[in-house]
Amino acid sequence: MSVPSTWRTTLGLREAGVYYALLLLLAVLAVLASARGFPPYLSVQNLGNIAYQASLVGIMGVAMTVMLITGNFDLSVASVAALAAAVMIGLADSIGLAPAALAALATAAAVGLVNGAIVQFVGINAFIVTLGTLTAVRGLVLLLTDGRSLIVSDPEVLRAMLVFESSRVPIFWPALALAALLVASGIAGRARGSGGVGRIAGGLLLAVLALVAGPGADLAAPVIYLVVFTAAVWFVLRYTIVGRHIYAVGGNAEAARLSGINVTGYKLAAFILSSVAAGFAGVLFGCRLGAINPTALQGTELTVIAAAILGGTSLFGGAGSVIKTVVGALLLFTLTNGFNVLDLGANYQGLIEGSVVIVAAAIYTVGGRRAARRAKRPAASPVIEEPAGSATVAKEA
Amino acid sequence: MNRAPPLLELRGIRKVFPNGTVALRGADLNVRSGSVHGLLGANGAGKSTLIKILSGALEVSGGGLFWKGAPVRWTRPIHAKAAGIATLYQHVPLVPTLSVLENVLLGSKGTWRQRAEDRERVGAILDEVGYAVDLDAPVASLSIGQRQMVAILQALSGGADLVVMDEPTASLSNPERRTVHRIVRQLAGEQGKAVLFVSHFIDEIIALTDEVTVLRDGRATLNAPTDTLSEEAIAEAIAGREVVTLEREHRAQARGEVVVEARRIASPGTLAETNLTVARGEIVGIAGMLGSGRSELLHALFGADPAATGELWIEGERLGPTAEERVAAGVALVPEDRAEQGYVPAFTIAENISLPTLRQFSGAGLLPRRSAEHAASVAAIERLSIKAPGPDTLVTELSGGNAQKVVIAKWLTGHSRFLLLDEPTAGIDIGARTDVLRLIRRAADDGLPVLLVSSEFHELLALCDRILVMRDGAVVAERRGDAITEQELILLAGSSANPDAGAVAA
Repeated sequence: MSVPSTWRTTLGLREAGVYYALLLLLAVLAVLASARGFPPYLSVQNLGNIAYQASLVGIMGVAMTVMLITGNFDLSVASVAALAAAVMIGLADSIGLAPAALAALATAAAVGLVNGAIVQFVGINAFIVTLGTLTAVRGLVLLLTDGRSLIVSDPEVLRAMLVFESSRVPIFWPALALAALLVASGIAGRARGSGGVGRIAGGLLLAVLALVAGPGADLAAPVIYLVVFTAAVWFVLRYTIVGRHIYAVGGNAEAARLSGINVTGYKLAAFILSSVAAGFAGVLFGCRLGAINPTALQGTELTVIAAAILGGTSLFGGAGSVIKTVVGALLLFTLTNGFNVLDLGANYQGLIEGSVVIVAAAIYTVGGRRAARRAKRPAASPVIEEPAGSATVAKEA
Repeated sequence: MNRAPPLLELRGIRKVFPNGTVALRGADLNVRSGSVHGLLGANGAGKSTLIKILSGALEVSGGGLFWKGAPVRWTRPIHAKAAGIATLYQHVPLVPTLSVLENVLLGSKGTWRQRAEDRERVGAILDEVGYAVDLDAPVASLSIGQRQMVAILQALSGGADLVVMDEPTASLSNPERRTVHRIVRQLAGEQGKAVLFVSHFIDEIIALTDEVTVLRDGRATLNAPTDTLSEEAIAEAIAGREVVTLEREHRAQARGEVVVEARRIASPGTLAETNLTVARGEIVGIAGMLGSGRSELLHALFGADPAATGELWIEGERLGPTAEERVAAGVALVPEDRAEQGYVPAFTIAENISLPTLRQFSGAGLLPRRSAEHAASVAAIERLSIKAPGPDTLVTELSGGNAQKVVIAKWLTGHSRFLLLDEPTAGIDIGARTDVLRLIRRAADDGLPVLLVSSEFHELLALCDRILVMRDGAVVAERRGDAITEQELILLAGSSANPDAGAVAA
């Protein structure tokens, strides 16, 4: 939120820890690669690969972050993604790619609406409801596919899928322009005294990356989708009334309600956003393979939540950053990628990934507790300024 | 009247908190076995501190504590409990998911969760006091009154000699209240226990107790057998007040036309059908004890109680039933519990102040302009004299009084048409209290209709043009603010003998 940002708080371990973790991991992997005589790890191509691999989880993670900020939880995203992919693949041959993709997104939105309506109107905990839909929607996928893989056979549709999912987008000039924009907006922000440190740092980093990559650099389309989606959600959260209300709803639902904010509406909308984002990820996944296996993406919901946690999103609502969630996803996929590329013994992978998530959560929790102690000290002891005789007045009505 | 030597004797008890606050300045109290002792006092008189000292939750700073004739010094609740003092707090700390039996035995030692003799023992206690409850029912399924009984059982099963009850009847319905009274009498009578009974209801104290002590400003100002006292004498002992937060000011300007009209506002079980009007610039006070329906009335008016019925009209316009619609129409509520309901802890002062009216600070009705929010917050910080480094300070970094001013400032950005305040001065220091009261008066002077709930009756007297007295979920009396004294208010709110009971409530 808009606590006045200084270089020290913005670049401190708690605020920027996930960025340092990613940089540190890349450095370690680069050193290992050169020590073992592999080709340079930090090549433009390999980094682009990591981003490509992380794009689906990143897209779902951004929506999941919004969900977590409003104080809810969605375990069903991977099943919804598989359902959307199945709908799209199943329909694409007969009605064409775009209508099939729209049908897939509509199906996903409907699941989100059902999730949200049960949570908000029946009053069951989101964890339980989406644990149920996680299984039920997967069952629906099995019904739709009859337990077999679906494939697209129309070559026209396959070509359209390839364009949508696998085309490369040149990024050199756009990246430089975006970097300049970020730095300029950051400087303007600092001049007005409202943050900006993160934008300046991010802009500079982006410029360096683009210059190193060179004018020929390009990225896969899903990475671009991820960037655009993240930027849009970041903008809404950071600059609009909707964003402010989302943080208020998660930070103190009762205070938000008594301030006239439609708490139920926002929470419901977060469910739909989460499912639609999952549906979009499912469409991308289906296009990538031109086929769908009924067990596709199983377990991915946990990676999505892990990415949000690595990014410092609170499971209790009211706090979180979509950009850090994306970095969290990049961190997880860098680990996977590193294990594969450098042949580090895939058996250790799960152990390391899990430990990283717990260490990250520990840093956030311990750091947060310290910050809260510092912040709360004056407020936690209202007795300090009680007049004679009314030290216990608060509850003595 | 039992004149045996006291079971518990307090002599000149003083309590000074580390920050220098003096809560008790030499309080005396004698509680005898086989009698019910009533303890009364206004807010801040030191009742809660005294109870905490008895129960071992606080240590005394000076004076003597004698239990069964011997001097004692308790430093932990477990010491007092072991000695035979059971304390029942207002908010009964029970485990809702466990059964009645398991809650009753919560503090008992041993290895096994279920023992046959425990069930028999608790059953025997139930028979003794003549109360029936299903021992296997989960506590979550019980009413508040039944939970109170479970807490009493808990105290009895521990073999207490003295039972301290802190406003046990405040949130109970009348039949439940009668049950508690019966059991209290039985405890003192047949079983010879001592009961220290804290209450705001003077008629209850008169009917139930054998002896009365009134605390005021940390001292016992009255101690006498109940049968020698009248309700008026008790009210006078409670009221006599030295510290006045804000002098009553003659409000010269004529009262405006009626702008707020509430018709047949009611909520099943908690609030009888109530009609009320508030004029432009008028401050209407609601005087009532805890559980009188005062907060329920505000929540019903604000649309925060889904079960509430009735209509709210402002300036001839009928408002929708939900809180969102009422806020949009200009109804504003400063809730009782500011941390739970008042502010968003992760937000800054500026963000909290702009929350209900964010649109008016935003470009294109969508993008909040930090500069506009800042300007409004700087103005609010100035006008309300909020002590804070600046508008970007987190609201959790403020003291209680300043956080409360932020919660009030939320509603003073020009949008509000009807201001509801629920205990706006609870738990804040005297300087901030005066500020908050002045602020309310200024809001009314600017033409805002105000409905103010406070259990600090002297604040109502200083501020209100009209005062409605509530008891048991209904308005039982209406008085002009300048035509009533605090004593009369205490009597009206704390006693059933109201001359015009029912006349206004209908």
